[in-house]
Amino acid sequence: MLLAGLAAAPAPEGPWRAVLDLEGGMLPFTLELARGSHGRSGRLCNGTRCEPLSTVELHGDSLTLGIADYAATITARLAGDSLTGTFRNVGNRGPRVIPFRAGRGRWPVTPAPAWLVGRWDATFFSDFGSSPRVFEFRNGAQGLEGTMISNTGDYGHFAGRMAGDSFTLAHFDGSFVYLLAGACHGDTLRGVFHAGLRTETPWIALRSTGAPHLKRPTEITGADTSAPFRFAFPDLDGRMVTARDPRFRGKVVLVDIFGSWCPTCHDQAPVLVDLYRKYHSRGLEIVGLAYEVTGDSAVDARQVRRYRDKFHIPFPLLLAGINDVDAAQATLPQLHGFTSFPTTVFVGRDGRVRLVHAGFYGPAMGAQHARLVKEFAREIERLLAEKG
Amino acid sequence: MRVAAIMSLALAAATGRASAQGEIARERADFVRWLAAAPTSPLATVAQQPIGRGVRLGPADADIPLAGVPAHIVAPRSGGIGLEGPGVSRLMPRGLPVRLRGYTLTVDGPAGREVLTVFGPRHAAKQPAYYPATPGFAFVGRLLPPEHRGTVRLLGVDGIEVEAAEAGSVIVSMGGARTRLRVRRLPSPGGEESELEIFFRDGTNGRTTYPAGRFVSLVPAPRGRYRLDFNRARNPFCAYSSAYACPAPWQGNTIPAAVTAGERYHADSAGASELAP
Repeated sequence: MLLAGLAAAPAPEGPWRAVLDLEGGMLPFTLELARGSHGRSGRLCNGTRCEPLSTVELHGDSLTLGIADYAATITARLAGDSLTGTFRNVGNRGPRVIPFRAGRGRWPVTPAPAWLVGRWDATFFSDFGSSPRVFEFRNGAQGLEGTMISNTGDYGHFAGRMAGDSFTLAHFDGSFVYLLAGACHGDTLRGVFHAGLRTETPWIALRSTGAPHLKRPTEITGADTSAPFRFAFPDLDGRMVTARDPRFRGKVVLVDIFGSWCPTCHDQAPVLVDLYRKYHSRGLEIVGLAYEVTGDSAVDARQVRRYRDKFHIPFPLLLAGINDVDAAQATLPQLHGFTSFPTTVFVGRDGRVRLVHAGFYGPAMGAQHARLVKEFAREIERLLAEKG
Repeated sequence: MRVAAIMSLALAAATGRASAQGEIARERADFVRWLAAAPTSPLATVAQQPIGRGVRLGPADADIPLAGVPAHIVAPRSGGIGLEGPGVSRLMPRGLPVRLRGYTLTVDGPAGREVLTVFGPRHAAKQPAYYPATPGFAFVGRLLPPEHRGTVRLLGVDGIEVEAAEAGSVIVSMGGARTRLRVRRLPSPGGEESELEIFFRDGTNGRTTYPAGRFVSLVPAPRGRYRLDFNRARNPFCAYSSAYACPAPWQGNTIPAAVTAGERYHADSAGASELAP
């Protein structure tokens, strides 16, 4: 009797069409759960881009998925071919909870129609005022995909779906909950951008004419050029490194203001490593100023070492402060209007700032990413050609 | 005509959300669990203080005495707010908890006006108390544009200053009167999220609800409308601990009726505890 009462344990393995139910819309993403010799594992995917889950635990019919980077969890009840539960992370004002559900299988691939593919100049209308964005839509291996760009960088990879003249593109990474919903009205796109459970920002977009819609990334942060650029911070072993050290004298220096927590910085790191390898022998130095999460130098140094090892970074990385735009600005008083991580400061052979590039276009930006990499190389070549 | 226009914009009683009561029950259970256990729960708060030129922690004569903690100082330094003490010299990231010998510290607030909150190892044995969820206190309707656009500095639910935007107003009919309630958008720290909030007072304040007033969120609903559910009204954190600053009442946001919905003034472990009028 006892044996007969035991039902087969449910198995969560396989792909799941998952959804976060926001107040104003449904944010789709994909979960891929597996079981191997080392236990259960899983990935959280936006279209073709996936990130590993830190833990996958099943107790009876209760499934818990950990997203350790963001102190977040998805808990759900497994019943046959469905999962029902919540996504939650903890803040200082109370728990943040968003309903979650999933069914077995993968989302159907819906290609982007020709009328949607390309670059759109958007304006967001919030209570804090209107502000520009650019949308880049294209067809990828899993249909509609793209990204959204503000004056300070892109929002990462968005995976999309079409339904008639309407479309949605979503990005969910365990912390950021973004859903861009819109529809075509003649030659205009209109819609709502959803952030988190219930923040909704209406927008309108027109096909880009090619004229600049966003501030140029080199016009966002200014610099005092009346004196050489100064910095002085400890490296990962606690040794002080300053702009006046002999290794920087008479060199072209790229100062990379970054954080190991910042996804766009991860996009930029391999590009800087390539530039360093290519131009170091001709007089290029790069130094990374890390603004980290905890402020505890032992913990932060460990995170930055991991970042250094991941990208095989050959140039020095210094612990400059914490990941707070105001705090970072205070440590670098020669910069004005510092807004974003990463920011790249181009310093000439005379030690003075020539250019400050705010943000970075990651690979999610396609052609613009490639163009920016070329612009960085061109600027370095121009500065290397100057006399010291 | 003008009256008719406002009539059509007024919030109507919401209907047809059978799941709302279940959602409210789950939200309340989540919040109760968070209050009882989270290291940064207002039931564990020891002190909240502007950092200014520095705050001394630890000994009996410190700004914030903490049992078993030698003298530490939280003060501005290059790169942000620093914590200095025996064997400790570190920056305090904004909004993230830092442990100090059984206590938890957070720094929040705008640059130059940061606030330190200190949480202790023990949570007060209090539970929030709620009126039973009642459909009659939920409304759906439109948000009227603000008379003046712009931003204003005010205290959020956690006693921390934020730059809030004037988002407009809604009109509710309760107790035979129509009351216009000011709505402001309060940003969440980091990212793109924000909440439409109403800080209101009503006939229950000082009797069954907290005297300073309560917060309630305005939630987007389909077709450009919004849902206002007073069953979700909640106390500012100053109701849980005298360590918190209470937000000042928002001009005009007084409902001339008893809103017997949402969070009451919390009961202590010994039983119901209501304030005298």
